[in-house]
Amino acid sequence: MNDNELITMVRESVADVHTVTPVAQVISRGRAVRARRRIPGVAGTLAVAAGTALAVTTLLPSGHQGLLGSGHPGRHPASAQLAAWTVARQVNGDIDVTIHQLQDPAGLQRTLRADGLPVTVSFSGSPLSASCQPYDTGRDILSAVAHFHTSDGSAYLVINPSALPSGTGVSIFDEPGARVPLPSPHTPRHGQGSGSTAPAGITGPLAVALVYASQQCTG
Amino acid sequence: MGVGNQQLDFAEFYRSAADECLRAVLVSVGDQDTARELVDEAFARAWASWRTVSRHPAPEAWVVRTALNAGISRWRRRRREVPVPDPARLANPPAVSGASARLVDPLIMAAVMRLPARQRQVIALRLILDLDTARTAEVLGIAPGTVMAHLGRAMAALRHDLEPELQQENRS
Repeated sequence: MNDNELITMVRESVADVHTVTPVAQVISRGRAVRARRRIPGVAGTLAVAAGTALAVTTLLPSGHQGLLGSGHPGRHPASAQLAAWTVARQVNGDIDVTIHQLQDPAGLQRTLRADGLPVTVSFSGSPLSASCQPYDTGRDILSAVAHFHTSDGSAYLVINPSALPSGTGVSIFDEPGARVPLPSPHTPRHGQGSGSTAPAGITGPLAVALVYASQQCTG
Repeated sequence: MGVGNQQLDFAEFYRSAADECLRAVLVSVGDQDTARELVDEAFARAWASWRTVSRHPAPEAWVVRTALNAGISRWRRRRREVPVPDPARLANPPAVSGASARLVDPLIMAAVMRLPARQRQVIALRLILDLDTARTAEVLGIAPGTVMAHLGRAMAALRHDLEPELQQENRS
């Protein structure tokens, strides 16, 4: 099979697919898009409402990097603990991540990868680097891989690596710009982080998603 | 250009480019319903910015890029829903109807979907939308050499996947 035959085959494989949406419907939708752009406040308000209603977001103050603390007793020896976040591998294989401050994403990424998790971590508001490709999946799979809860201004993330679909990894990132009302400054429970510092440069909700695993993206 | 003329201009563009854009996005995302939603949204945005898009050197590439970006945005929205398991909304998604599934060649589509996402995007833009290497590189934000490398790897993988199956089909 030469290149031309292969190209023809690929083209013909989808040749019967046609749009069915009338152009009038597209234009109507386009008008709505245009109108929405004229009221920027509306989008912002909706983002705040969604963030609040879903109760999945946490706003973590951006302060200085916390100092090293001691590991949790009785946990995996590879567990690491910083004022900004802690990582602990449980006996059932789950990885518990506690995030007090959105600091040192490279350190968190390194620690999680050392525990065998294909992961990319970004607290810079850019969820996907050019080397990462999103893996679009149903929420049931995503929920099996990871779930959040929040308490006392910290985010608790439990990751089950064994539930990851083959060839995928985890992306942990923040969502800046949501402009959710800021919580009171949070003081980390571990170490001596500067959580009492005014949260200048506050970031938005913390989020997790799946990506295609690759050396460049997830290590 | 008046609004009436703009509508005619856009409608002509939609009629001429919509099918190709849909096929390109389909090859990239693999699911017809998703591809249709993304392309509809991208064309709506194209109309919302038609003064700009109509002057784009390759407006169909703009639409496909916008559709793929919308897919990423959708992915980003979806991930926020992780911690809120809502049994009512976690029901199985509707299955692709038989008629819809028959529109694509399942053997070839399966082989395409086994490619990495970036290679699928290159296939979509280079082979389905028929963009040249430079335009494909611009749309994807990568170097032309990288486009050629991805295309070469994708073609090799497809050939490797499809040839044995086609030979078997021919024998039977």
